[in-house]
Amino acid sequence: MGYSTGRRPWRSEPWRGEDYREAEASAAVKQKVFFFALLVIFVFGILTLQLARLQLVNGEKYRLRAENNRLRQAPIIPTRGLIYDRNGVTLVENRATFAAAVVAADIPELDVTASPSECAGRCQEITIALQELTGVPASDIEALIVQRSESNDPFTPAIVKDNLTEEQAFVLRERLAYLPGVRVVIEPRRQYTEGLLMAHTLGFVGRIDAEEYAELAANSYQLNDYLGKAGVELTYEAVLRGIPGSRDVETDASGRELRVLAETPSQPGNNVVLSIDLELQRKTTEFLQAAMGRSKNAAAIVIDVKTGELLSMASLPSYDNNIFTGRVDDAALQALLTDEAKPLLNHAIAEMYPPGSTFKQITGLAALQEGIAHANTQITSLGYLDIPNQYNPGVVDRFRDWAALGTLNFYRGVAMSSDVYFYYLAGGYAQGNREIFQGLGATRLADWTRRFGLGDLTGIDLPGESAGLVPDPEWKEKTIGEPWVLGDTYHMGIGQGFVTATPLQMAVVTAAVANGGDVLIPHVVKEIRDPEGNVIGPQRQNVRRNLNVDPRNLTILREGMRQAVADGTAKTSEVRGVPTGGKTGTAEFGERRPDGSYQEHGWFTGFAPFNNPEIAVVVFLEQGNGAATAAPVAAKIMDYYYNQRNVAQRTTP
Amino acid sequence: MISWRETRPFDFILLIAAIALTGYGLLLIYSGTLDSPGEDGSFLTGPVTRQLIFAAIGVAFALVVSRADYRFLAQNSGYLYMGLISALLFVLFLGTEGTYGSQRWIDIGPVHVQPSEIGKLIVILILAKYLSDKQDEIKSLHVLFISLAIAAVPALLVFAEPDLGSASIFLLIWFGMVVMAGADMRHVLGMIGMFVAAAPFALVAIVTDYQRERVSLFLDPAADAQGSGFNILQAEISVGSGGLFGKGLTEGTQTQLDYLRTQTTDYVFSVLGEELGFIGAMILFALFILLCMRGLRAASISQDVFGRLIAVGVVIFILFQAFINIGVNIRLFPVTGIPLPFISQGGSSLITVFIAIGLLESVIVRHRQVTL
Repeated sequence: MGYSTGRRPWRSEPWRGEDYREAEASAAVKQKVFFFALLVIFVFGILTLQLARLQLVNGEKYRLRAENNRLRQAPIIPTRGLIYDRNGVTLVENRATFAAAVVAADIPELDVTASPSECAGRCQEITIALQELTGVPASDIEALIVQRSESNDPFTPAIVKDNLTEEQAFVLRERLAYLPGVRVVIEPRRQYTEGLLMAHTLGFVGRIDAEEYAELAANSYQLNDYLGKAGVELTYEAVLRGIPGSRDVETDASGRELRVLAETPSQPGNNVVLSIDLELQRKTTEFLQAAMGRSKNAAAIVIDVKTGELLSMASLPSYDNNIFTGRVDDAALQALLTDEAKPLLNHAIAEMYPPGSTFKQITGLAALQEGIAHANTQITSLGYLDIPNQYNPGVVDRFRDWAALGTLNFYRGVAMSSDVYFYYLAGGYAQGNREIFQGLGATRLADWTRRFGLGDLTGIDLPGESAGLVPDPEWKEKTIGEPWVLGDTYHMGIGQGFVTATPLQMAVVTAAVANGGDVLIPHVVKEIRDPEGNVIGPQRQNVRRNLNVDPRNLTILREGMRQAVADGTAKTSEVRGVPTGGKTGTAEFGERRPDGSYQEHGWFTGFAPFNNPEIAVVVFLEQGNGAATAAPVAAKIMDYYYNQRNVAQRTTP
Repeated sequence: MISWRETRPFDFILLIAAIALTGYGLLLIYSGTLDSPGEDGSFLTGPVTRQLIFAAIGVAFALVVSRADYRFLAQNSGYLYMGLISALLFVLFLGTEGTYGSQRWIDIGPVHVQPSEIGKLIVILILAKYLSDKQDEIKSLHVLFISLAIAAVPALLVFAEPDLGSASIFLLIWFGMVVMAGADMRHVLGMIGMFVAAAPFALVAIVTDYQRERVSLFLDPAADAQGSGFNILQAEISVGSGGLFGKGLTEGTQTQLDYLRTQTTDYVFSVLGEELGFIGAMILFALFILLCMRGLRAASISQDVFGRLIAVGVVIFILFQAFINIGVNIRLFPVTGIPLPFISQGGSSLITVFIAIGLLESVIVRHRQVTL
């Protein structure tokens, strides 16, 4: 080994100049010093190599990562379009609210390699601090952070609590510097000016859920976005939403936005003008509410018979759609969901009921048009119609009328709402093999029913519509497994039995009777306006089909309905100074009671004015009565429309 | 009686290299603390000013030490060593919690003192004294063992703090000094071989969870990209993103937007890497190499073993502090709290390295023995 210094302890031996041992020692020292010099070069050589690898070879890659660190693209949420009634009354406003949010990617001490991700240390401190500020349990916040960190978008703020009070927002803002990953987000909130009155039509917006996001992410929806969940807010989502913009922001390590580097502004949504007349809506709702009594549900519709525009549509009970606009109040929502009366449901379009005698419009017109009956067809009602049971000839089935009405022509049949009259029209009458009166028969009746639009969606621009049911022999065989019998035809002829319809479908039926046979596609939106106020839509079709009936037959039916109001069953719907046509209905439903009676729904459907019909009105009261409860409501609505409402306000075409 | 005469001039190149490094560090600290000026916003109480004051104190110490007789320190190195051990024990049991829960400081009034920094110099002194005293039996195994024990005691104490980095520095100083002192290389290499062989077991047995966590973080910092792994990843990104020329002083997005943390201490090199690039780093390396070479020159011209050993110890000390610190920044090593000599913000480190420079100067100035 050459690594040896001399053997001269410096303390014991004095300096002796350039002796040989010193020279030898000096050479050895030089050798070792050289070794250390190499070590120095070696050490910095290693560092240089690694540095070259990072900075020169992979520099571009790291530069991109540094850019990704600091640059974030933040969406600019567009201002959602407003909604007005037909007279320009604002029905919804946008208000700014503050929300506390977390950005999972910025939360420290969140171990994303664990499954599920683990929140410890600083992360937990943050959740606890947020709990203190917002009242949301730390465990919920933690779950939110974990869930978001595992999603593919950990950079989008996840809302912890919205609708913060100004004080909460202020305190939180003050503390943001100590809460990395926490944000105060300004969110627009929908404020409905007439919550209870317009909830079923307007619907509400809510936060996008995972399913919707998966579907809509391509349309630049954000994880935090709001979108229409019901009503017009849902069907006109694309119109109301506008186009989001974006902003490239420079953010520091705790996610604070420091500078906006580039910005694409958002484009506000278009505004929607409803066909609904808010004041008529208010009155419709009031009158309906007042008549409800023990009815759990009720619905009323006023439709423009020429355009299909709904002037009012009430469904009771209603709900305040403002409860959905912020963070949903779970207790309130639970109450709404468990309420037997189903307040969230728009009973005017979503629930199907047996239409009862209002259905006689369909049976009557079909019979006239098919030549089964004409204006003077005489049929006698003894108060019942007995027919032998098809399978058990010894047994006689009795089909009742509501009274022994005597001999009636078509007008009186409609006016007095004789069930026997319509049994004849629907199913005919035979004694033994001798046919006394030929009826429409089940198939033809079902065809006509469908032609009026029953059994199918009306195509209204609202979600959640029901199609109702138009039964026929094939349907019964398939669904119930029993053959269709004459009694089924009789029942259907008077709107009982299996046939069901929504109040809206009955409004379309009456509108068709009133307007000359056009089956309309009803709608609640009149106009779409761009933010500058120019009308840009909607482009659509108002008429679904024409019934193709002889106008004289429609005249006969309308005359029958006029008589019903003038001196028939619908007299309670009479309106001062306005001749109208109408038809009541009292439909039995549910199980037969021990005394042989049934629970009943009350219906009224009518049109006004008689000579040149403008509107059709449908009133439905669950557990009500046609003449006693439904018709008077319709009378009040029409009276308000024609006699009390400021005529100048009317914009009906 | 032996006395000393100054026959060689003071090594100005060495001192200037040290001051240049300090100035370089001040630039980086300035850039790294742009958004955190001193109290009441005044630059005068800011970190740059504080560091400047420490630098002035350091240079003063260097000048004083360079004029002092290092043999005086040799005679008292035993007391210094006892003092060091006490201080380290104090730190271990009563010290201030530092970053990441390690205990490395003693609070004296408003000042944090890190005894392990000055401790490295004390170990250099006592090892130099011991090894030069034992020149006759330098090849013997027991000298090697005792010298190792001298270094190992403070190494174990700082290891327990836990400060794996400083512990390694103690052992590297020992290694450099026994090699220089002329120990039998077979013994030295044999012991190093044993260290290497024992290392995996030591990792399992004595290394704390804390250190194991650091090692596993080093291997996979993405495991906690927002937490403990954040600094490791962000330092790597900072340095890498600097490229050849860097983004320009005060223009580094990683540094200025706080993606880089402890950017004036542990990760000050990353500021340099990001803002001044590869070129800036090469300038830094050149200064360090110059400084180390001047230190080795001191070893080479020193005519006594004691001075030579001090010089080598100091060079090893500065070299490996720099190596480990920079290595952590560029992901060669797991995180340790070793400051970058002359550059990192902090008085203990800066004053210590200037005292070390003073020692080198003292060796250079007294390189020739004169008998009276």
